[in-house]
Amino acid sequence: MSAISELSTIHRAKAKTPEEKRLLAKEAGRDNKAGYLFLLPWLIGLVLIIGGPMIASLYLSFTNYSLIQAPKWVGLDNYLRMLSDPRLHKSLAVTFTYVIVGVPLQLIMALAVAMLLNEGMKGLPFYRSVFYLPSMLGSSVAIAVLWRQMFEVDGLVNQVLRKFGIPATNSWIGDPQYALWTIILLHVWTFGSPMVIFLAGLRQIPGMYYEAASVDGASKWAQFRKITLPLLSPIIFFNLVLQIINAFQAFTQAFVVSNGTGGPADSTLFYTLYLYQRGFVQFQMGYASAMAWLLVVIIAVFTAINFYFSKRWVFYGD
Amino acid sequence: MATPAETTVSLNGPAPQEAIHHRATGRDRVTSVIKHILLIAASVIMIYPLLWLVASSLRPTEVIFRTPGLWLNDLYVENYTKGWYSLSYPFGQYIINSFIVVIGAIAGNLFACTLAAYAFARLKFRLRGLWFAIMLLTLMLPFHVVVVPQYILFNALGFVNTFVPLILPKFLATDAFFVFLMVQFIRGIPRELDEAATIDGCGHWKIFSRVMLPLMGPAIATTAIFTFIWTWSDFFTPLIYLTDPIAYTVPVALRSFLDATAGSNWGAMFAMSVVTLIPLFLVFLFGQRFLVKGIATTGGK
Amino acid sequence: MALNRRQFLVGAGGLAAAATTMGLGACAPGSSGGSGSQGGGGGGGTNLALAFWGNPTRNKNTQAEIDAYMKANPGVTISGQPGEFNTYWDKLATQTAGGNAPDIIQMDMNYISEYGSRGALLDLSKVDVSKFVEGTVDSGKINGKLVGINAGINSALIFANPKVFEKAKMDLPDDKTWTWDQLIEVGAEVASKAGVSFGVASLMGSDALFGTFVRQHGKELFTENGLGFDVAEAQAWYDLMLKGQKAKAFGTPEQASEESSKVLDQSAIVVGTAAMQYYNSNQLEAVSAAAGQQLKMLRGASLAGKATERKTWYKASMLWSASAKTKNPDAAIAWINWFANSPEAANIDLAERGIPPNAEVLAAVKPKLSPAQQTVAKYISDIKSEVATTPIAPPPGGGTIATVLFRHGIDVLFGKTSSADGAQKFVDELKSNLQS
Repeated sequence: MSAISELSTIHRAKAKTPEEKRLLAKEAGRDNKAGYLFLLPWLIGLVLIIGGPMIASLYLSFTNYSLIQAPKWVGLDNYLRMLSDPRLHKSLAVTFTYVIVGVPLQLIMALAVAMLLNEGMKGLPFYRSVFYLPSMLGSSVAIAVLWRQMFEVDGLVNQVLRKFGIPATNSWIGDPQYALWTIILLHVWTFGSPMVIFLAGLRQIPGMYYEAASVDGASKWAQFRKITLPLLSPIIFFNLVLQIINAFQAFTQAFVVSNGTGGPADSTLFYTLYLYQRGFVQFQMGYASAMAWLLVVIIAVFTAINFYFSKRWVFYGD
Repeated sequence: MATPAETTVSLNGPAPQEAIHHRATGRDRVTSVIKHILLIAASVIMIYPLLWLVASSLRPTEVIFRTPGLWLNDLYVENYTKGWYSLSYPFGQYIINSFIVVIGAIAGNLFACTLAAYAFARLKFRLRGLWFAIMLLTLMLPFHVVVVPQYILFNALGFVNTFVPLILPKFLATDAFFVFLMVQFIRGIPRELDEAATIDGCGHWKIFSRVMLPLMGPAIATTAIFTFIWTWSDFFTPLIYLTDPIAYTVPVALRSFLDATAGSNWGAMFAMSVVTLIPLFLVFLFGQRFLVKGIATTGGK
Repeated sequence: MALNRRQFLVGAGGLAAAATTMGLGACAPGSSGGSGSQGGGGGGGTNLALAFWGNPTRNKNTQAEIDAYMKANPGVTISGQPGEFNTYWDKLATQTAGGNAPDIIQMDMNYISEYGSRGALLDLSKVDVSKFVEGTVDSGKINGKLVGINAGINSALIFANPKVFEKAKMDLPDDKTWTWDQLIEVGAEVASKAGVSFGVASLMGSDALFGTFVRQHGKELFTENGLGFDVAEAQAWYDLMLKGQKAKAFGTPEQASEESSKVLDQSAIVVGTAAMQYYNSNQLEAVSAAAGQQLKMLRGASLAGKATERKTWYKASMLWSASAKTKNPDAAIAWINWFANSPEAANIDLAERGIPPNAEVLAAVKPKLSPAQQTVAKYISDIKSEVATTPIAPPPGGGTIATVLFRHGIDVLFGKTSSADGAQKFVDELKSNLQS
């Protein structure tokens, strides 16, 4: 691996003249003004479009708000009610299962396929598009209808299983025990988005590193561990953080597949689906807002944990 | 400074690590064939639902749910020819509306998110950590509870029934996903390039536009493509803001084919779904090129 | 950091792009006309926004009705806002929250009290309902105030699939005398003889048929004070479902669960896997068309075996309401009045929304109705002697009764909980929904 370490040290050990050092220091001081100038559109957006509504929703979480009448202050009532709400606990269980199982599965799938498609081969654009297609369709009503059909007692999946001699007599979508797994599968099927991001990240790894490693006689697996993973780590981290954030808020797929109900006996009652039911169907937007802010806390904790541990395995070029 | 040549990785040529050891052995060929077979099998599984969608779009509605399988006896194209005209306006109107919204959204995201990402990734300014945390926080609040206050806001400004609520937020970098994505990409770019440019006398703007942006090709392409696809499929925002049917975007229009209480025109809905998939597919097919053009370089200019 | 020329150009370019797309956006079609409730709008004359959920047929009908009305009433401009049933309510709630509710609102029985009891709906007592069939006006009264005008009568019943009965070599049951137990017997027999999954499908989650069941026990679904029935009635219903499941009349729990999220075109009676299924009378035409054959209408069952004692009622398939905040209340009322009482409107609508409640209008339009709709009209008039008083609209929180009933019922069917416990949970949840 000596060629690799040589290359990395070239990056770091560039001697700087005093002149260069002075210019660099000067730039650092100007960063404040530049920083805020570059950030200006985002700051305006934060104040005008996001910030106000976010604070409003926090306020609403302490009220009874039916959407039709003005909000009425009730203090901590909503939060206290959440403690004894069985459907809320169920929705937390459903969502946690989805996050803990679905996110890693999907990411591993995405990375594996991205690596497969990163190597030169015939028909690459075609395969890439094919593997991305499900993501384009994933949340549509049309696919939801088909997905339900596929997992019925006599649907396609059971038919295939029976051809292989497996006695498949239960319904996947109609049985509270299994319905959630059909949605997890749907989530894994739509791995296109993180896959594309992985691909873009893989393509940004300088080819010379691999060349040098091959010259040194490193195996493909060693190359993967020592070159790909570290250099891809900012992207892996990004996908991990964002897929977790998104998975906690998963809504559309559960909504269309269960027809808005949360599936047989609440087995697909995702947290945001329940939130939506409380807010829009039951006209309890105050309670829904309280649920939303609880979710923010949960997601923030997970994200903070992610960031904390990232220092140990994420390798940045800067 | 060492100046190894710039290597542009081509679209589907061999990846760098294979360029050196290219010996077409019999074993390589067998592996390649197996790989292709597996990939094709996987592809069929991946796109089976799409194949079902296309097949169903060529069947009359009454038959769709009674006929399993993909085999088509006749091609019922009326779903396409009549379906195009069966809503209040020819379906092309809705496609145009979606294009307007999507192009605005892409322009907005590319403009605002690159700027914000550069600030977060490269510039040191006071409270940077706090703003970054807040930015991530905006991703964590489910949009259903923000929708109503935002609606009230836009209503007060008189923007209901326009495309403004669908486009303006993009120009203000409200899509924190892309800001974070670009931050991660930028952080993967060696600082030496910035420093080199600084030493050459460039201010931040020049570094941003001359050094960063060209190197962020994949991130920019990813942002553009994802913005296109996600905005194209966005349903809830156009639902609540657009009241005049002539302004409906594609997802809202597709829903109009359905009626939970009476018969829905599934055939036409599937047909139009297929039609609206085509722009998405084409965008991805051609956008890939920019996605994967990585510039493998360790030196500057 | 002074802006150099390059920076300025790019920045200006970005702003220009923003301005253009927003200008493009602001000039989006319809934005200048806007929704009528923004005010007197346009250039003189009244503007009304009319929101409804529909399908391609109803959208065209409604636009034709609007055009006809505008022609007869120059000076009034109505802009239609069609939608789709499931997502219509999200939009309406958001619009109402923003103070932007449409002037004329197509309303549903499950939602009318949510809006009506919170003061969001206009008092419609000025609408002429004198010619309405008895029992069809009261559905729209919330706390004594008339806030919804019946836009189409329907009634809950059971459709029968003649082809399945033929295959089983059975006659259609006598729906004027059958009891719930006999319903199960018939269901079991036809299911086994014809080899179909369901004798009767979708019974458990039918709040309307459950309503008749409860009323046959002398209670009501809802009263002014909240829930009108108790755990005993709920348990009896779940026990009935278990009995039917055991007799193989109602399908397996998995089948029942799958069936509940199927769309109309996939429903069991349409694809031929059910001999009978719960539906509403106004759906006859659509379901028959999907099934490819003319389905038969069967009355629901009764405890006593007498159709006159099954306590069914005239429902409103949908109603017309108006926003309490509309700037043109008289114009809104005028339109609703026209729709309810003019043969011209009925001639365009052709009972697609349900049977016109105005008896004279119905008589005038009847010859023009399709055969299926005529069958429905006949059924509605046939059951006149059997209908009992119209129950009150589900109070706020009560509109979810069907989903809650089904959700706990599925647990019972799968054996996860006893019928007693399931009934208790159902009643508890419904009570807590009503309170909040």
